[in-house]
Amino acid sequence: MIGTGDGNRPPAKAGWRIELADGNAPIPTEMEELRVRVQQISLREQIERNHFLLMRLNAANARLIQSLEQGDVFEAIAEIIANLVGSEEVAVFDYHAAEQKFSLAWSSGVEAETLQPFLRGAGMFGRAVQHGLSQFQERQQEGALLPYEKNLTACVILKSSREIVGVIAIFGLLPQKNNLEWADYELLKFLETYGAVAMKFQRLQGRQVST
Amino acid sequence: MSTKKILLVDDSCTARLVNRMIFSQKSNYVLISAVDGKEAVERAKREKPDLILMDIVMPRMTGLEACRVLKKDRETEKIPVILLTTRGEEQYVQEGYASGCSDYLTKPVNDAELLDLLKAYLGE
Repeated sequence: MIGTGDGNRPPAKAGWRIELADGNAPIPTEMEELRVRVQQISLREQIERNHFLLMRLNAANARLIQSLEQGDVFEAIAEIIANLVGSEEVAVFDYHAAEQKFSLAWSSGVEAETLQPFLRGAGMFGRAVQHGLSQFQERQQEGALLPYEKNLTACVILKSSREIVGVIAIFGLLPQKNNLEWADYELLKFLETYGAVAMKFQRLQGRQVST
Repeated sequence: MSTKKILLVDDSCTARLVNRMIFSQKSNYVLISAVDGKEAVERAKREKPDLILMDIVMPRMTGLEACRVLKKDRETEKIPVILLTTRGEEQYVQEGYASGCSDYLTKPVNDAELLDLLKAYLGE
């Protein structure tokens, strides 16, 4: 064992040899080997993280495709957010560009009255439409949040070919989830575009059925 | 490496899809699935999986109820059941273990964590 203080150096493990040059520091070639190994581990982690993200994106995409057949785009969006991001409090709003107004299209896990103030399109909703960019609570300037936005984690803009279709409002995260992570932002970016495309598809489907 | 049969139980299609993709990294895992607790109990009795990965909140029969049924049945009592759910509150975790589950994981799932746990239970 290393560090027992008995003065006897342990036999080196096969394939893992660290020689001590002055009794303390590893010799330069061993340092180099160690540095390369650490770098390899870090690179491997990057590839594995990306692989996991791609799996999640693939699952989300497959679920959206399925929703086109089943006509349950909103449920699909909520399922993706619950299972892959980690929130069961979701609302989807339609955006009517001509009148610059929002209307509630669907919600799950949130009281309808809680959603009323958001119809005004102020705060994060307004900034999302104005800049055409999703807004996240943790990236807002201090004091920029409106009183009713305290529990709003994200406002994901739904846009297809620059046309803003609506927004997804994500409220409280699951208790085991502290904050949004890198992969969550990537998944929400995917929903910005493909959630909007699926919503547009469903709207057209609705028109066909009603004519 | 011997083939391992895993029964995946979740009413959410997204959850089944992502778990299928995670398990596809392991060539010796054969996946079968069920969409609620009732179907899970039926498939477990019929197909004797090596492990069951099950959601809690499901229609017809919850994962907790299904776990209790499986643990009372001599044919299925020894099959490890891992509950995988959005419910991370302490009360649910306690109820999960009280139902007889071997382990309790919360969503969103981490692929490495899930595969490590499965390897441990499947003796790999």
